Amino acid sequence: MTRKQHDRDRRRFVKGAAAAGIAGLAGPRLIGAARASDTEWHESYDLVIIGSGFAGLAAGIEARRKGIERVAIFEKMPYFGGNSAINGGLFAAPGTPLQAKENVDDSVERMVADQVRSGRGVAYEGLLRHIASNAADALTMCEDAGAEFHPYLQQLGGHSVPRTYQTTVNCGAGITQPLYRKCQELGVLTRNRCRFEKFIQDDTGRVVGVTLATRYYYDRDVSEGETINVKAERGVLVATGGFSQNIALRSAQDPTLTTEVTSTNAPGATGEAMLEMFRLGAVPVHLAYIQSGPWASPDEGGFGYVSNYSIYNFPHSVAINRATGRRFMNEIADRKTRADAELANRDEQGKPLPPVLITSYSEAIKHPSAKKVLKYGVGWKFEDLASLAKEFGIPLEPLKEQIDEYNGYVRGGEDKQFGKSMELAKGKLIEAPFTVVRLWPKVHYCQGGVEINVKAEVIDSSSGLAIPGLYAAGEVTGGVHGVSRLGSCSIPECLVMGITAARTVAGGAA
Amino acid sequence: MNPIDKNLTRNILSPIAVVASLLLFGAYAFGDMKEYEGIDGRSYHAEMHEKGRCKTCHGVKEPEGYPEDGSCLRCHDVEEIVAATMPDAEEDRWQNPHNNLHYGPDVPCVECHGEHSNKAPLCTNCHSFDYSDHEY
Repeated sequence: MTRKQHDRDRRRFVKGAAAAGIAGLAGPRLIGAARASDTEWHESYDLVIIGSGFAGLAAGIEARRKGIERVAIFEKMPYFGGNSAINGGLFAAPGTPLQAKENVDDSVERMVADQVRSGRGVAYEGLLRHIASNAADALTMCEDAGAEFHPYLQQLGGHSVPRTYQTTVNCGAGITQPLYRKCQELGVLTRNRCRFEKFIQDDTGRVVGVTLATRYYYDRDVSEGETINVKAERGVLVATGGFSQNIALRSAQDPTLTTEVTSTNAPGATGEAMLEMFRLGAVPVHLAYIQSGPWASPDEGGFGYVSNYSIYNFPHSVAINRATGRRFMNEIADRKTRADAELANRDEQGKPLPPVLITSYSEAIKHPSAKKVLKYGVGWKFEDLASLAKEFGIPLEPLKEQIDEYNGYVRGGEDKQFGKSMELAKGKLIEAPFTVVRLWPKVHYCQGGVEINVKAEVIDSSSGLAIPGLYAAGEVTGGVHGVSRLGSCSIPECLVMGITAARTVAGGAA
Repeated sequence: MNPIDKNLTRNILSPIAVVASLLLFGAYAFGDMKEYEGIDGRSYHAEMHEKGRCKTCHGVKEPEGYPEDGSCLRCHDVEEIVAATMPDAEEDRWQNPHNNLHYGPDVPCVECHGEHSNKAPLCTNCHSFDYSDHEY
């Protein structure tokens, strides 16, 4: 039975058709690429973009600027922006105006070196260099579209210098919303509720279009519109993000990432377009490298408010094991190091004992996220250490000693416990009153995906050459970051590779 | 005139009446879920449910699916709703569910409002906001 017949047969509005039961009724999808010669085309564009996050939106803008006439972005979800619209809005780039203002000595090579270190030797340097070289231009594209950034830089875990901008709304939506509006201004067609089904190839193997299910409702996994074949005269760009929300797929790659581990990602991050690229012959790269965010909180869903709060505060805070009252990690080590360290925080029965991040209230309140964290009850303020220790069951004396010890490191400029860079902690003693959040990692980013080259072309596994007509950009691609991506390096990657894909298509390659 | 428009001209509450009822019952009133013949529905749309006027929103007499996105906006005005739900504090201005930080004013109504069944607002995926009058 096809999906459509199935849908027709359903009585969705009959009383008692519980929403929960409906997903179970969804029929199997047709799989595999179709042939252009048997295809009835419903619509035609020059460039078809699947996904409306950073990569898709940047590609849409650049494509129009490079003179590509008919550009369409199709989005599966009811709203535009993908996972990018709920990300932290942190953007790393070397050689920026803020670095000049703050006298930060940085370079493309230095940023690449930091990323290669975090990638543990298997990151693709060529792609990293291409992205770092173009990151400052991508930042300019965002600012030109109306994105606004805080007037200061942050130094995130694993970065050797401050090089991270952040949107004033502390969210990727501070970029996706302006880029989305810019796309509309430039005449890019944007259509929501269109679920990508499969690619259409011509007899030479070139990707010449896609099949889309329209009026798609992700929560019920039902398409209530026609299934259409959309022709792409000059190329198809897949910019669909990762698969953090596809529990079967992610736990097949990493069996520790079961339903018990939640995710920061938007519910649409399920990876079906990536799987279809594999069916076409794309090379799967690094699929098991799935990163958890060490700044997330078990007290709220998704990315929430705590993530940005922690990212800002980690440099001048202590993360404390509640059983021992001691630190257990370098608070600004790379994400994998910290997530692994946090997961080792267990009670005597082996159950999770989420550690606490303790920050001086006077410092925490300097970032707008602190107000939200306190207001919405996902973080707490304490007047003294005794009440804090009591609330979280932390032995008070060891905690006192630990904080005194750490404050010695702040004064001396050297962390003798974990080798944390104390640059940004200078003069910031941990003092009452305190703010506290709880930490527990959440699945955040898929380093793996399809192999691409520096032109955003997707590589075929048997020929080693680009698959004609097919491009990919952003989290759906693999290899760029190796084992573990550094924070704030996704936004430049998505934007630069989206722009790159548009330029490749405009240049007439592949 | 297409079937939906034709239907609307004799069937709907006027936008003025909608705004008046919002003012009367408070800006956050969501209406009870009530049982009508063969279907549950919001009490403020009682007239349509009682008279079986599915077509008003769905465009067809016997709907098999959701109405088109934007159907609600044939009667309800986004700008008025945005104004009615604007938080007082400047720092909260992007927490207006109808013109929010992540998606602006573009989230289809049905993502947070259920006409025939209760629905949690989209933001509760990640946030602990308290919309106490929202029927989940």
